[in-house]
Amino acid sequence: MPDLLEVKNLYTSFHTEDGVVPAVNGITFNLKHGESLGIVGESGCGKSVACLSIMRLIDHPGKIKADAIKLDGVELQSLSEKKMRTIRGNEMAFIFQEPMTSLNPVYTIGFQLQEAIQLHQGLNKKQSRTKSEEMLKMVGIPRAEKVFDEYPHSLSGGMRQRAMIAMALSCEPKILFADEPTTALDVTIQAQILELMNDLKQRINTSIIFISHDLGVISEMVDRVIVMYCGSIIEDADIRTIIKNPKHPYTFGLINSKPRIDVDLDKLIPIPGSVPNPLNIPRDVLINLAVKVPWIYAKAKYLENPRLTRAIMLAAGYSANREEKSNHDRTNCKA
Amino acid sequence: MTEPIVKLENVKKYFPIRGGVFSRVVGNIKAVDDISFSIQKGETLGLVGESGCGKSTLGRTILKLLDPTAGKVFYKDFDIFATQKEELRNLRREMQIIFQDPYSSLNPRLNVGEIVGECLEIHGIAYGREKQEKVESMLEVCGLAPHHRRRYPHEFSGGQRQRIGIARALTLNPDFIVADEPISSLDVSIQAQIVNLMEELQEKFGLTYLFISHDLSMVRHISDHVAVMYLGKIVEISGKKELYQNPLHPYTQALLSAVPVMDPDHKSKRIILRGDVPSPANPPQGCNFNPRCIYAEEHCRVEEPELRDVGSGHQVSCHLVEKM
Repeated sequence: MPDLLEVKNLYTSFHTEDGVVPAVNGITFNLKHGESLGIVGESGCGKSVACLSIMRLIDHPGKIKADAIKLDGVELQSLSEKKMRTIRGNEMAFIFQEPMTSLNPVYTIGFQLQEAIQLHQGLNKKQSRTKSEEMLKMVGIPRAEKVFDEYPHSLSGGMRQRAMIAMALSCEPKILFADEPTTALDVTIQAQILELMNDLKQRINTSIIFISHDLGVISEMVDRVIVMYCGSIIEDADIRTIIKNPKHPYTFGLINSKPRIDVDLDKLIPIPGSVPNPLNIPRDVLINLAVKVPWIYAKAKYLENPRLTRAIMLAAGYSANREEKSNHDRTNCKA
Repeated sequence: MTEPIVKLENVKKYFPIRGGVFSRVVGNIKAVDDISFSIQKGETLGLVGESGCGKSTLGRTILKLLDPTAGKVFYKDFDIFATQKEELRNLRREMQIIFQDPYSSLNPRLNVGEIVGECLEIHGIAYGREKQEKVESMLEVCGLAPHHRRRYPHEFSGGQRQRIGIARALTLNPDFIVADEPISSLDVSIQAQIVNLMEELQEKFGLTYLFISHDLSMVRHISDHVAVMYLGKIVEISGKKELYQNPLHPYTQALLSAVPVMDPDHKSKRIILRGDVPSPANPPQGCNFNPRCIYAEEHCRVEEPELRDVGSGHQVSCHLVEKM
């Protein structure tokens, strides 16, 4: 059986007036049936754009280029826009970060839920209403029959996100993309939503791609993690390896710059500098540097002299991009 | 034991709800409701709570950036709410604020030198050349370069902007700083930079912080004491260690258990709270927390609990604290 999702050398770039911004820079990964995969990285690292590219939701001036984007063996790039529409929402669904801006304020929750169900499953109005109400109940919304006729503004943030999840799951998609689904929520509500998603994951056999910048959230949700930096995958391993024994200095930095709720730390170790502007990354220099920088050296350098390391991290990211790797436990760093 | 630098006594801040033809006051939003605590010199008090619990309002009310409804705030020996004009302005020199959003809290039409140096002129401390030198040295202290003085806010990243915000707060050499979610709009790797900077500055200048945040892990890292707010009230306040190891209020317990732990082997008994925070315009009868509390008993729904000391400065407002 082939992997559920196969992405090979995906490039997404935005052709702006100031130049070409390579948001996603040749990423390759697979997703198995029933697997939950996390994508971590800071803002602007391309994690959302990568997922939107897979669903072909990138608009002008963005351009998607890939050797393969296969869903269950079917090459998505060769499909027509019309065919693609039958896949979006049906076989692949998306939960967005901000539930207020991603629900349409002028339609009722019910209308928006029904729309997808009627389109993809060919149910009539009455059937789709029953189905929608079932979905709302499944995601733990009380008085589902009433909420069906309410507008998004009358729901709280947590409830809206639940409605969003109901909508995404209503057609029983094969892959669910969850793009920072809890970032806009308070911790106690976040705990509710994470519990709900974990519970649903076990009940429905859906593969999840969970995007977040919070390794804490990720470690509660997924089996395997991809760490992205400046459009490249720099580390890909199972969650335990990533947290306990990160290979790449950037991953190491991400983990150690965050205070822990369960352990006292003397001092946080920040990642120095800031994420470089994607418009002017000196790629040639970096690739050359990358070959020369083994990761242990990079980690040592990182601890003693912070200034160089953003460049080293980037460089390390490039080095392995050009190499053939097995899919698991790969790091874009030469150890 | 050091003396408290800031002391709050029954501070209240209500926002009136107006309605009807004559815009009469039809109700109040009790954003801050009867809060008392004190902050010792040189320490950091972390103030945590979910959005809408009134923590930012409290921070601003302490500095009299918002007019209080009732209560008293003492800064050293001055009653802040009673001081007026000139005297208040002099006090402001010693109390500053760092805002949450570094994108909207810096005037885009002023360059960094003007933003950071403005207060020096207003308070008549330094002008011209002297002002410029002070600004440059302050920028260096905050991890920026002196030549950044001529640049405008849009030329900086979020983390750098927050450094400008910190430099602005520090130029007057204050003693007390309210940091209103200074890191929540920044990326993880930048958050650590800013927090480390704040810790260094605290050591260097002997600052006292009121650190407002919803990030419980970060508050654990930076604070000496922690206060937990819920619906305009303090529900628990204690030393950091005590609070994180032995939380007594059911809300604090739930809040702490809700934080995701970065450890795949971690198995915690998570307390999932039901429902959302009630509207502060219409708070529940009795204990504010009773509709979501798993331990709530009959009298929790009738009688409001008081903040009581349960030993060694650990204060909790819960009827059932003995059973916890």
